[in-house]
Amino acid sequence: MSYYVGANIGFILRIPPATPSVLWPPNSVLTATLLLAPRRRWWIYLLAAFPAHLAAELPAGWPTSLVLALFATNCSEALVAAVCVRHFSDAPTRLDTLRRVVVFIAGAVLAAPFVSSFADAAAVAWLAGEHYWSVWRTRFFSNVLTALTLVPAILTVASDRGWMRGASIRRRAEASLLAASLVAVAIMAFGARSVGPAALFGSPGSPLAFLLPFLLWAAVRFGPRAANLALLTTSLVAIWAGTHGRGPFTSLPAATSVVALQIFLFVVAIPLLCLAALIEERRRAEEALEERLRFEAFLARLSGAFVHLPSHDIEKAVEAWLQRLAEFLQLDRVVLVRLPAAGPGPAVPCPGAASSSMAVPLVASDRVVGWLVFHSAPAERVWPEELIQKLRMIAQVFANALARKDAEDALRASELMKSAILASLSSAVAVLDRDGRVIAVNESWTRFGAEPEATAYAGFPVGAHYLAICRQAVREGVPQSSKVLSGIEEVLHGSRRGFAFEYSCGSPGSERWFALSVVPLNRPAGGAVVSHTEVTERKRAEVQAERSRQELAHFTRVSTMGELAASLAHELRQPLTAIMTNAQAARRFLDATPPDLQELGHILGDIIADDTRAADVIQRLREMLSKGELRRAVLDLNDLIRDVIRLLGSDVVIRNVKVGLELDPGPLVVNGDRVQLEQVILNLFVNAMDAMAEVADGERTIVVRSEVDGAEAVHVAVRDAGTGMRDGAHEEIFKPFYTTKPEGMGMGLSIAKSIIEAHGGTIWATNNPERGATFHFSLPAPGGTPG
Amino acid sequence: MSEAEPTIAVVDDDLSIRRSLERLLRSAGYRVTTFASAREFLERVASDRPDCAVLDVRMPGQSGLDLHGKLAAAGRDIPAIFITGDADFFTADRAMKAGATDFLSKPFDVYVLLSAIERAVAQGRQRRPPGK
Repeated sequence: MSYYVGANIGFILRIPPATPSVLWPPNSVLTATLLLAPRRRWWIYLLAAFPAHLAAELPAGWPTSLVLALFATNCSEALVAAVCVRHFSDAPTRLDTLRRVVVFIAGAVLAAPFVSSFADAAAVAWLAGEHYWSVWRTRFFSNVLTALTLVPAILTVASDRGWMRGASIRRRAEASLLAASLVAVAIMAFGARSVGPAALFGSPGSPLAFLLPFLLWAAVRFGPRAANLALLTTSLVAIWAGTHGRGPFTSLPAATSVVALQIFLFVVAIPLLCLAALIEERRRAEEALEERLRFEAFLARLSGAFVHLPSHDIEKAVEAWLQRLAEFLQLDRVVLVRLPAAGPGPAVPCPGAASSSMAVPLVASDRVVGWLVFHSAPAERVWPEELIQKLRMIAQVFANALARKDAEDALRASELMKSAILASLSSAVAVLDRDGRVIAVNESWTRFGAEPEATAYAGFPVGAHYLAICRQAVREGVPQSSKVLSGIEEVLHGSRRGFAFEYSCGSPGSERWFALSVVPLNRPAGGAVVSHTEVTERKRAEVQAERSRQELAHFTRVSTMGELAASLAHELRQPLTAIMTNAQAARRFLDATPPDLQELGHILGDIIADDTRAADVIQRLREMLSKGELRRAVLDLNDLIRDVIRLLGSDVVIRNVKVGLELDPGPLVVNGDRVQLEQVILNLFVNAMDAMAEVADGERTIVVRSEVDGAEAVHVAVRDAGTGMRDGAHEEIFKPFYTTKPEGMGMGLSIAKSIIEAHGGTIWATNNPERGATFHFSLPAPGGTPG
Repeated sequence: MSEAEPTIAVVDDDLSIRRSLERLLRSAGYRVTTFASAREFLERVASDRPDCAVLDVRMPGQSGLDLHGKLAAAGRDIPAIFITGDADFFTADRAMKAGATDFLSKPFDVYVLLSAIERAVAQGRQRRPPGK
């Protein structure tokens, strides 16, 4: 369409009788189109131009072959121009740098018409019979002029339609004034009646000279675009004037006047385009520099803002600066997305170069700690690499600030944690240096010192010499203070990995107990941590527990005694019966004459022995019933086992139980309470007999085995042939009130357990492979590990 | 007491009891043999038949009742007097039903024992034709 209109304009502006016109717009329209259009769609535009070409040129009455040939040359010109400019220029549609302008002039304005005009002139010469060089020259000049004036104007209008839209009213007014003045001056310069060749140059007062200021005005004030349009306007006016026989060139012969006009326009246009481009380039460089300085100033202010900011203020400052950043970059919103410390964070859209938002990673110590997301209101915008570079620099400032905040937060949290832990400890804690001086204490430690009944070992302030205080305590004869002193000294010297000690202080009756613990400080400078923990409650509880355990033991003893009452009675009846019988026999022997004095002596001996035996039984009964404290003595467990079996003798008989003994041949020495350990053995026996209540008479056997178990312990096992334990009951049977017997209290085994554990031993039960269960206990041997 | 002194067997696991009973019965004019267990009695008494047996009920191994039952089963009808440390009604009842002459609880009155033995010896001699 433009091509058609352009061709017609070309016809109008032709200076007959030559075929080429002064101005030939179709080629320039085509050239501009190819510069604007992507390369792959060129063929569409070329095809579209074809009917326009036919429609424009056929009516001229030229032979069809010439019309077709001219289309081919026109197309070739546009193609050469487009290919050249696209190849050499970094922005083919823009003429705002000197380089771009030079490329444009060399390629589109000179080379393309130069080359294509040979073919064109040949076609016209051959098909229309015109003079070859005349055609070539006319076409070349007209096309050069058109390319020079029309293509930049088309490019300006097509690619930068809105360039004056955002301008101020003043600027618009200035532009309007410029346009009006230019048109007026041009009409005056070219439209005036011919005043002869002398008027062309140098003639003072020539209106032509007045054109230059206006063209310069356009170039300087409004850049290449305005210069292009001004040139086009000037050219159109000049050509229009020329074709209508007006203006400075009309005094020349027709062809010469055209060339003169054209040369005039070249001479004006080429420097003007270059000048406009130079000014634009310069202006842009200044703008870029100014922009850069502004950005750097902003960046400096931004970095400076975070440098001395306390970390708790950083978050708020980040918010404020994000807003300022958005204003500075003229974006709608800048958002900072934090990523969690570990694991994948929320997915941040990472938009391409053309999008409404751009996300830049916040990188601190090679880790992405978040994203800075820049939003722009237009749905799509271009994010030039230069801008992204700036955004990255800004992101780095934020990343550094956040990294510092994180590090300081973590440090503070760790310090808070440490001080909270120390403060929350009820134990009094002090840190000593290598020499035993107090270098740090916690609140409990200080509190200890303030208490009236303070311990001799805690509460001293930082700076106090702890070892000296301990030495003083030793001199004053504080009980066990030398043990404390040497313990701490050994830990400080590294000859001991730790030291623990329990001590009491305060007046009797209101005693307080403390556990002292000393552990080395694991640091090159050495030192130790001393802690005092009040354990009075625990101690009281232990005493209480011991008391209840003994009461329980007493209770069980009593109840066991109840169970054994019958056999114990039997145990007494045996000697009593023997005594009675012996006494009666003695009386009879006395009645005889002569009395058998020897026999009487034997009888009295037996009576005394039986009486002793009865007294023993009674004594043992009393021991069992008495609520004794733990009275330790060195004992032979084998003796105890035999004693218990003797005690049980008649009960074993009553229950028809066979007892087997597999005792260690040597003495089985333990350090313990005789009565309590007998109680254990007795309870295990009673338990074994009870377990066999349902077993057939001949199969009731108990085997007691005792042995030395290594150098450190002795082991006793009581094996029965009863029903055994059900699965999972191995632990439960030792709990109080666990019983399987209808009349049982469930105390026997639990008492046995507490007695054995009080002796530092262990008690356990296993099921036998064949039948029944075995109850074991082991006790530390006196030479072995102390219990 | 026309014939030789009657023989009394004492079976008790308690040495003191055995020795005191032996003295008492000897002083009363009996011949006494003592056994520490039922098995010992069964082994040794085969040839020498006592006129009366004083049996302890509770002994390791076979009890006095077991021994008495075995003797009865073997047709050796020896009059038996049981002595026991704990006199419970059921044991006494069982003993008497099994043919015991008497059942005494320790410590017993020696005169009761002696008269029981006398009765048992007489009873035994009555049942058994002399000379056999």
